[in-house]
Amino acid sequence: MFLNLKHFKRDFNKWTLLIVAISLFLAIPVFSILISLFRGSGEMWEHITSYFLFDYIKNSTVLIIGTGLLTFIIGTSAAWIVSRYSFRFRKIIEWLLFMPLAIPSYIVAYSYVGLFGNGGTFINIFSNLGITIDRIEMMNIYGLIWVLSFSLYPYVYAGTRTIFQSFPSQLKHTASLLGVSKRKYFFSIALPLASPAIIGGLFLVFMEVLNDYGAAKYYGISTFTTGIFRTWTALEDLQSSIYLSAILVILVFLLVLIVKWLKGRRSYSLKKTNTNQKNKNYRSELKGLKKITYLSIVFVPIIFGFILPLIQLLIWGIQTFDSMFNSDLISLASQSLMLGLSTAMIVVFLALLLIYLSKWNYFKPLNVFSKVATLGYVIPGAIIGVGIIRTSKSLTDLFSFQYDIEIGHLIYNSLLVLIYAYVFRFIAVAFNSIEGNTLKLNENLSESSYLLGYGKIKTFFKIDFPLLKNALLSSFILVLIDVMKELPLTLILKPYDISTLAVRAYEYAEDERVAEAALPALFLIFLIGSMISILNYRLRVNKD
Amino acid sequence: MIRIYSLFFSLFLVTSCTNENKENNLEKQNEREYLTLYTHRHYDSDKLIFKRFEETTGIIINVVKASADELIQKMETEGNQSPADLLLTVDAGRLVRAKNKNLLQSANSDILNSTIPMHLKDSSNYWFGLTKRARVIVYNKETVTSSDLADYEDLVNEKWKNKILIRSSNNIYNQSLMASIIANKGIDSAKVWAEGIVNNFARSPKGNDRDQVKAILAKEGDLAIINTYYLGKLINSKDSNEVAAGNAVGIFFPNQENRGTHINVSGIGIAKNSKNKLNAIKFIEYLISEEVQEIFANANYEYPVNKDAKSSKLLESWGEFKEDKLSLTKLGELNKKAVILFDEVKWP
Repeated sequence: MFLNLKHFKRDFNKWTLLIVAISLFLAIPVFSILISLFRGSGEMWEHITSYFLFDYIKNSTVLIIGTGLLTFIIGTSAAWIVSRYSFRFRKIIEWLLFMPLAIPSYIVAYSYVGLFGNGGTFINIFSNLGITIDRIEMMNIYGLIWVLSFSLYPYVYAGTRTIFQSFPSQLKHTASLLGVSKRKYFFSIALPLASPAIIGGLFLVFMEVLNDYGAAKYYGISTFTTGIFRTWTALEDLQSSIYLSAILVILVFLLVLIVKWLKGRRSYSLKKTNTNQKNKNYRSELKGLKKITYLSIVFVPIIFGFILPLIQLLIWGIQTFDSMFNSDLISLASQSLMLGLSTAMIVVFLALLLIYLSKWNYFKPLNVFSKVATLGYVIPGAIIGVGIIRTSKSLTDLFSFQYDIEIGHLIYNSLLVLIYAYVFRFIAVAFNSIEGNTLKLNENLSESSYLLGYGKIKTFFKIDFPLLKNALLSSFILVLIDVMKELPLTLILKPYDISTLAVRAYEYAEDERVAEAALPALFLIFLIGSMISILNYRLRVNKD
Repeated sequence: MIRIYSLFFSLFLVTSCTNENKENNLEKQNEREYLTLYTHRHYDSDKLIFKRFEETTGIIINVVKASADELIQKMETEGNQSPADLLLTVDAGRLVRAKNKNLLQSANSDILNSTIPMHLKDSSNYWFGLTKRARVIVYNKETVTSSDLADYEDLVNEKWKNKILIRSSNNIYNQSLMASIIANKGIDSAKVWAEGIVNNFARSPKGNDRDQVKAILAKEGDLAIINTYYLGKLINSKDSNEVAAGNAVGIFFPNQENRGTHINVSGIGIAKNSKNKLNAIKFIEYLISEEVQEIFANANYEYPVNKDAKSSKLLESWGEFKEDKLSLTKLGELNKKAVILFDEVKWP
């Protein structure tokens, strides 16, 4: 640290100041939570550690390992097949593989019980066919792993597919010339090359799993997040629940360290000598038994992650159509979309800013602030909510003490506060994927541009931005989807006159009227589905 | 590039439009009176009721929906500039908590005092029960008869081993039931009771109240402890399996020979920092009017607190029952003890 400080004067530049300022602004809720940690743990802490902390850690670990393995297998195998082989309807299948992202996990959890639980749709079909099963028990930790894996694997699939598709054909040709078998090519060449994307995707999966509340609560599994809520609400000990969140954050940091360690110092920029050449013969045609096996590998996640839940939602949607279909849904949809679009725009912009500022800033130790700013993805939404309300409270207090102006009415129901909360919560989504892509950009490009006399900003717009366009678009859409599905923050911070489809669906599900929740959920799925189509279409256009 | 610019532009348009809308709304709000309601209730019928109130009085109800705990936290943090005028929850315990955190204020109204029975409101009028729900036993009509059942306390009997279905202890209604048992029987007997129930679990607690009834139809267990209005909703569901589940069970009101069946209320209190107290009282008075109470009963199968209001046909068909007159304040005070007890006996 002292050694670093010696360089401070040399390395300090205008970007240093800017990155610290932006990061600090974004990280205000983290500090508000950190400060409260110093107040000591709450009075129920001993009770928590003696009765259920162990269960939380155990269940969360099992969930992470289970979903990690399953999403890894599903995500990478599907990505490999769609990027290596050509078959009919490949483009539609590529798109369908993204679709599980469109359904909030807790809705998937409910629909699985609707399908396979007591008196479920499929149980009835089976009994009509003369097969009597009472139920397929989903409501346990294995069911939860199943549900979460099939709804979250697209995070792994998305990045991995992009990397697999970016492999130049020489890679494959060279490998086969050197006598590498197809299997060895996949395991020793393709997978290691794709590992940053896979790990990045898995990280997002882990965050979603750790943050899941609805599905775990419904299935009766105690996890960290359900524990945080129980401590806060039932044991009336907000302080201890903030402590639990802190432990969660530490666990996540450990995960991040492991990820860093796995990534190592390897460089992953594939030298593309002939990017202009179209790799027309790159995909092999699928035939015979192999075709059937590979296609079924691709269809399993589509069926279990998307088609089955969708069928159940459609059945419920039809049942409740008369009472639930009204113009409200349209206005909810447009509000969801508006919130999502504006947030995603800001998030992508700020993420880019953070990434490039930390590049341009030469005093590297301060870049740690940009990491702090991306912590929001880890902290449970409700706790962020508390942090943000406390922050807005300080702001209103400031105004009333200093200027004697009451701004509480404006702040506490302001769209700005909600969007700020979203930005804080989701900036990691954009940050991680864009950062991964900037690492792939060859440094020589921008160096040459500097040498030729362009400044940093001009270089960014002329060189980096066009190269990053696809990555920006995909993170834009990922954030958009996340915002449209977001629940705890929206519930507690949204202005009165604004609501979202996710909120509406949640309200019905919370009231045990799952069937009524289906129609808003279907609208949400339709909207997100169209976003994914745009993404898919744009990516393909840009590629060809 | 053009596309990206056009996207930016359209976004700018969208956001500026919404800003304008907001300003318009604010202007409107300045002209008209309004009340800000923090509520935990998500029912469609409530929306209808608020709209009618608006039509008759001209007072607009701004609604913030979230869980009661989050709303209480929000009010607490927002402090004296909180926009909340009223807090509406689905159980009395949370209102007691809000009162103890000094977030509510007392309201004096002859109508409220004369309509709402003593045990369903705060003794110093900090909060008022609006509707009642009873936590009852439902049983499989094929395997159990009502004569097999008597009190909550009897459910620990050996004969119900592997037969009892009930949801997780995270649920507030279970916490309140436990609190009522602690209040009536003392903490030691309550613990023995909880252990007995855990021993008799048909399965590890999961799902919601409706799922417990469906599990009876699927023969996972014979008895379930659920809230009355969920049974009403099952029987009137659009899903044939839910209707079948609702019809497969009989309803039993326990403890009729002694203290009565455990009840809870959905209730409301006026926020301490409300600047519209008179309108807030007017609103609560409206909520306990016969007209609104009958909507609660018919649309949501909740028992009215107003004696003059007719309850729905379904509720009448279940018959009159003796309710536990334990002061609901006790439920709030003992809530935490109940949760600790649940943890001690490993009731998930």
